[in-house]
Amino acid sequence: MSSHREAPEISQDPVADNTDVYAFVSPDDPSTVTIISNFVPLQNPPGGPNFFEFGDDVLYSIYVDNDGDARPEIEYQFQFTTTLRNPNTFLYNTGPIDSLTSTNWNKRQFYTVTRIDAGVGPKNSTVAQTAEGPGFEFAKAHATVLGTNLACPPCNIGPRSTPNYQANLGAPAVHSLPSGETVFCGQRREGFYVDLGSIFDLGALRPFQNLHVIPFPAGPGVDATQGLNIHTIAIKVPITRLTADGSQPTNVASSTAVLGIWSGASRRKVRIFDTHNTMSGPWIQVSRLGNPLFNEVIVPLGKKDEWNGENPVGDVEYLPNVQHPELAALLPSLYPGVFPNLKNYANARADLVAILLTGIPGGIIAGFQNFTGPTLADMLRLNVAIPPASSPNLLGLLGGDLAGFPNGRRVQDDIVNIELRAIAGATIPLVDPSFTPDAAAGVISQGLAPNIADRYQTTFPYLGPPLDGFHHPSA
Amino acid sequence: MANFNRRAFLRNIGLASGTAVIAAAPAAAAALDPVVETRPSAPIPNEPIVVIVRDHDRGEVTVLSGKTEKTYRDRTLVRRLLKAAGHNHLPASSGRV
Repeated sequence: MSSHREAPEISQDPVADNTDVYAFVSPDDPSTVTIISNFVPLQNPPGGPNFFEFGDDVLYSIYVDNDGDARPEIEYQFQFTTTLRNPNTFLYNTGPIDSLTSTNWNKRQFYTVTRIDAGVGPKNSTVAQTAEGPGFEFAKAHATVLGTNLACPPCNIGPRSTPNYQANLGAPAVHSLPSGETVFCGQRREGFYVDLGSIFDLGALRPFQNLHVIPFPAGPGVDATQGLNIHTIAIKVPITRLTADGSQPTNVASSTAVLGIWSGASRRKVRIFDTHNTMSGPWIQVSRLGNPLFNEVIVPLGKKDEWNGENPVGDVEYLPNVQHPELAALLPSLYPGVFPNLKNYANARADLVAILLTGIPGGIIAGFQNFTGPTLADMLRLNVAIPPASSPNLLGLLGGDLAGFPNGRRVQDDIVNIELRAIAGATIPLVDPSFTPDAAAGVISQGLAPNIADRYQTTFPYLGPPLDGFHHPSA
Repeated sequence: MANFNRRAFLRNIGLASGTAVIAAAPAAAAALDPVVETRPSAPIPNEPIVVIVRDHDRGEVTVLSGKTEKTYRDRTLVRRLLKAAGHNHLPASSGRV
């Protein structure tokens, strides 16, 4: 999975488990960037009686680095509060929920959005409370509350409880804030697609498993997440509120045009289980996510929990794991004779370092760069001067689409195939023209073709409405 | 009476500096107030102050309060906490804190 249950400790803490981060120039509003951070993985739609929700005791953060130092200059914080209309019933709802103000809806969740800006704030601004961690610049920062008491939609229960879900509940839960941001927090359909059952069965790719060291007849991929939901924190921000100089860049080559983006979740350092839960101490980061699959595939098991508690500015520690990824060494063994050139390639993987840790410098791909400087850091890097594609290619940059991953990440990008091919050697020639990729590197695939129209939507928050628990899974 | 001013008075009773006050008060309390086990009279507050003894011998103690965390060296406090916790290993009580 991109980052679903990817580390031992966070796999036990779903509400804080950051599963995917997306960042892209909004296709229907290109003066803005949409950032999405997902949590609470692998939700089976029938989730009653206690339906999925965000953690009231978790601080959710989206970070933006706009000067290339891998430290955030901007943080958006989301904090949730759950309320009960009637604590004397076991029911989530006592009748149809036909609006966000329905009195039939018993257990509701609201949230506050706060923006933290590095630097000393205006005279009457609030001192920021942020998660602890090495390398943060927020010793001097100021906080601005952008919105309070913002309603989440309920989970999509079924046609009796949540009729006409998107019109009644999903769309009204999109809130436009006076500061210019638009936000949505609540359940959506899982956007990340992966043949989970096959990939973690010793790296099997069903279309090519006849070539696996333990062969089975080749077959189509199985989308393990197509019937699942997720909890989404989405924010659409005017680009001028994100860039270092407040501009809307149009020059792709400009360093101002590149934003580093990641997200995280934090918990209070101490929690006491008593008659009621009490907490004390600073916020401590327990989950983070920038590039998809980084912690999952690059970071070794013994360091995954540690990585989740750290910040991108310290990621030089993981450079050896990027230069010599374990999966690249495994592929020739798992698929004997299929990757001879990859097997013989002993050089450090400068292509993966560029894609994952520094961004791709100018001059390598015509009309493209998302380089943030020499600081090695796992962040999504989005060049906001590149306009959205009119016909997105699911393979992003590998497919010649400059607006797709690893230029940020769109909801529909085929992350598994892109990263599989990159690790298999398809991107080595970008930095080492003497290398000839194996033929398989350009064609290996998990064999999935998501139904784009069914799974996503063309407007904010771009992930489709959640599947309801009455019809899914189907009989 | 010429030498009897406020400064001299404070010096004579050991309160000449703020640090002396801070250092002396717990020591005096330690001597006067025995650790007494009792039944809780109130629930744990929403934002409890939590104290963690990090290093017995160094008298190092971390105090979490609200969203702050600070670590101090306070042998007297650590001795009292260890005693309350029933630990037999007590740090030296010299005045090296």
